[in-house]
Amino acid sequence: MSEPDTPTLDTAVLDELSASVDGDRTFVIELIEAYLADGAIHVAAIDAARATDDAEAMVRPAHTLKSSSATVGAARLAATSRELEMAGRSGSLSGAGQAAAARVASEWNATTDALRAWIADGESA
Amino acid sequence: MTETGIALVVDDSRVNRLVLTRQLTGLGLEVLEAENGAEGLEVLRAHGDAIDIVLLDVIMPELDGYETLAAMKADEAIRHLPVLIVSGVEELDSVVRCIELGATDYLTKPINPRILQARLNASLAAKRLRDLELEYLEQQRIMTSTIERQKTELSRFLSPQIAQLISSSEGETMLAGHRRQVTVCFCDLRGFTTFAEGADPEEMLGVLGEYHRMMGDAIIEHGGTLEHFAGDGVMIFFNDPIAQEDHVERAVRMAVSMRERFGPLSAGWRKRGYELGFGVGIAVGYATLGRIGFEGRYDYGAIGNVTILASRLSSQAAADQILVSQMVVGMLEDVIEVESVGELTIKGLSRPVSASNVLGLKTRVPS
Repeated sequence: MSEPDTPTLDTAVLDELSASVDGDRTFVIELIEAYLADGAIHVAAIDAARATDDAEAMVRPAHTLKSSSATVGAARLAATSRELEMAGRSGSLSGAGQAAAARVASEWNATTDALRAWIADGESA
Repeated sequence: MTETGIALVVDDSRVNRLVLTRQLTGLGLEVLEAENGAEGLEVLRAHGDAIDIVLLDVIMPELDGYETLAAMKADEAIRHLPVLIVSGVEELDSVVRCIELGATDYLTKPINPRILQARLNASLAAKRLRDLELEYLEQQRIMTSTIERQKTELSRFLSPQIAQLISSSEGETMLAGHRRQVTVCFCDLRGFTTFAEGADPEEMLGVLGEYHRMMGDAIIEHGGTLEHFAGDGVMIFFNDPIAQEDHVERAVRMAVSMRERFGPLSAGWRKRGYELGFGVGIAVGYATLGRIGFEGRYDYGAIGNVTILASRLSSQAAADQILVSQMVVGMLEDVIEVESVGELTIKGLSRPVSASNVLGLKTRVPS
């Protein structure tokens, strides 16, 4: 279970990321766009795995979403997809797995909003 | 410090590839990308020589990190490439497995640029060292083969023992000059001067060639050191540069063997109208051996009374005679049958010396 206080977006991660590329904002935005484009595909795959109760098909999209979410600071979604990856590896999506999968769509939307807001904040700053 | 080189990033997540590529580019590296292990291996097999380091994700579709590493380690051409495993913090067990499979080091995501740089520096330094080592080994291989070739050539122009001596660690001291007891053997042909005056040059060279081949075989069989050829005259010594406990006996056995081989040769020449005989002189004593000559042309030679004595004995020997000094007779009592030829007056030596002709070997099989 992800901690209830895990933020949707940990902006400190994005700040660190920016610093690691010498404040190249264009690059960070490009990265977020790539994350949003690929993430949507992973979320769809997760949803399909949940609908067919296919634990094996859950592992890879959950793993990739976990990894890239962590990179852009999407902390809550990273935690949820980590749960999903583990559930998939355990071979069963019952219980906690199904619950986590059900949360992914709404968390994805929240993450998308938060990232767009972060970009907009930067534009206005 | 900015690194240079080419890195291959193998990761199925585009987001992660973007970040890694950007960070590596920022450190001065060129970056190639692959989406999974299978694609990564393809790139490595096509450009393995140019790639300096591989950054490898563990969990990937197609071919995962373990399989990719195993395939790399099984491929002679790319097995040496440093591999940094890029993994999540919760995947440290898999990192251990990767290190066991031969990965160089690991990085955890999200990647800290300082740690990335430190790990890169270490891995690239190790690779450069290895590349330098390979380059050095290659140079050494070329040098060794050149030296081997020179040694082979040298041994064609020089007596093999002397060629070997020149290449050996004690060569310098030995060449500088040393004193040692040696047996010196001179051989030449009776009637050669008359023959040389009358024969065609081609005919003379043909006869000399046959004679030298026969001599050469006998010298090699008995381990003699050929000092020089001078027309029909040949000087051989024993017990130097390679020590030979039985040097006196070796010299006499060689001479007897040459005399035996000379018979059929001279019979052939006689049919062609040349009357040539074979004479040998052998003496034992101390000589100074080493490099003799001048800058530009040196020979390995023996200098001493023993050389003079052997040479004079040879010139006093009649056809088919092997004249040996008294000392040789004394040392080989059990080995050779001799007949005294009395005392000979030798030019350059103040007193006459007694000499004997070797009739043959006693029928004792040497132990």
